[in-house]
Amino acid sequence: MKKKFPISVHLALTLAALFVALYMIFLYAPEEMTMGEVQRIFYVHVPAAWTALLGFIIIFISSIVYLWKRSQFADELASSTAEVGFIFCTCVLVTGPLWAKPAWGIWWTWDARLTLTFLLWLLYVAYLMLRNYLINPGRAANLCAVVGVIGFVDVIIDYMAIRWWRTQHPQPVVGGGPNSGLDPKMLATLLVSWVAFMFLFFLLLRVRLGLAQMRRELGDIRHILAFKASED
Amino acid sequence: MVNKYLFLAYAFTWLIFILYAWNLSRRQARLRKELEEVKRRISEPSSATTSMESKP
Repeated sequence: MKKKFPISVHLALTLAALFVALYMIFLYAPEEMTMGEVQRIFYVHVPAAWTALLGFIIIFISSIVYLWKRSQFADELASSTAEVGFIFCTCVLVTGPLWAKPAWGIWWTWDARLTLTFLLWLLYVAYLMLRNYLINPGRAANLCAVVGVIGFVDVIIDYMAIRWWRTQHPQPVVGGGPNSGLDPKMLATLLVSWVAFMFLFFLLLRVRLGLAQMRRELGDIRHILAFKASED
Repeated sequence: MVNKYLFLAYAFTWLIFILYAWNLSRRQARLRKELEEVKRRISEPSSATTSMESKP
């Protein structure tokens, strides 16, 4: 993996994708007629939201693998994804109100989509708190895996909320049905922006996963040292 | 003039990712240093033991 796709290449691709996305957002995509330039928040808000949802899907799958196989890698993948996903979810919760204020006249409303996204953020927080504050690592891994599995229900309802109910939040513009859709240039910009966010997400995840594995290695060596000391 | 909400949204997005990347690199450097230190400690007593074992 390392030889086929070195992290330096990954970093270069991420920076290039982010640069292209920024160019498209500010110079290629047309200005939206009713909201004006503030609508360009859409190109970070939506990709960040999709990535935060994807993050929890990875946590869900890794948690099931951990509970089933007791795979340490699956646990490390879940905990690393939780940290990176939390950053993306925070980005959604900050850019959302910054878009809502000029568009709706209010910063926040407790509609289904917004509330469920806030709940997703709380789930990320709960996961990270359990991981960091429980002393027994095995118990922390088990409880976090349970949060990862149960929390996935929120991901499904959050995704479907704007399809099931009429909400203050706009209806889906991609994959939303016959009356939904975007200008082709806007759609291209959104997709390029999402690709850039995916590159960034997986880059951060790779680095964070490397940290988790380094920490495990350190724990193993310390264990050997303690064992040697007790023998002496 | 750039819309203030647009500016704030992009500024925050960049800032949070830059801060997180910086935090990750600091943690990585600290762990790497710690790992090297522990590896060095592990190799020291074993070399000492080897030298003692080689004595008649």
